[in-house]
Amino acid sequence: MPEVSAQRMRTMAALLRDPNPLHWDREAVAALPLGLGKRTINQGPLGLGYIVNMLHAWAGPDCIRRIVMRFPQVVLDGEEVTARGVITALRQQSGTQIADCNVWLEHAERGILLEGTASITLR
Amino acid sequence: MSTGTPAKPRPDRSTIEELAGHEFPGGSYRIAHWENVILTGCTGAELLPDGLAHPIALFHLPIYGSGTSIAEMFDLGQAESDLSIMIESYDWEFFQPLHEEVCYTVSGQVASAERCQNSSGQTYDRIQFRFDVFDPHRALCARSIVTWHYTRDML
Repeated sequence: MPEVSAQRMRTMAALLRDPNPLHWDREAVAALPLGLGKRTINQGPLGLGYIVNMLHAWAGPDCIRRIVMRFPQVVLDGEEVTARGVITALRQQSGTQIADCNVWLEHAERGILLEGTASITLR
Repeated sequence: MSTGTPAKPRPDRSTIEELAGHEFPGGSYRIAHWENVILTGCTGAELLPDGLAHPIALFHLPIYGSGTSIAEMFDLGQAESDLSIMIESYDWEFFQPLHEEVCYTVSGQVASAERCQNSSGQTYDRIQFRFDVFDPHRALCARSIVTWHYTRDML
């Protein structure tokens, strides 16, 4: 994602009916003792969505069996982030080949922002 | 805090622990085509083929389908403010892909609720929600486990 968009966060907040101002009010974020400045914080599902899109580009639009994600750092508006993954195991389940992966979202300076695992159907 | 909204008092430990097992009313949810278009666009992707819903719909579909809302979930754990909720994790399982314009039935409950302390000694409440999503034939097609931290006196 070349630039995480504050406008998309606002749209997402409306769609989700999410009252948390962290996603749409830069002043509210700046007032927190977190040193984040005047930048809104991306919704968890959006950051996870970048990883989902990477997996779709690799294995197809209905490939995801399971995805488990943790959120060690926030994703901020204006940031460039990159989704990455690595296969850790291949297995058969009910005649289907599954790839187990470690996946993460990273920022060039701040490191890993989201990290987790995914189980992907291979065709 | 500069939001002008005073933080709510911290609930008792027992009040939090008693949330475990709380069931939401249950109900149904249909991802509309327009909703899927906007949702998918927010991720930067093109609409998926064959009526597939973007998998991140597994965040809000179960919440609203089970008869609750993000705001109600904040209230249930007596969040200090809307700003005080932090995500620990999502665990999403797809037994079949989600589709737009399909009426899914959803059940949801508080799977666990506990008072915790972080490595700095700060108190927070860890509440885990579990939602099961069924297709129109009553087959389990997805499961979402959402774990949030209700921070106390941290912000």
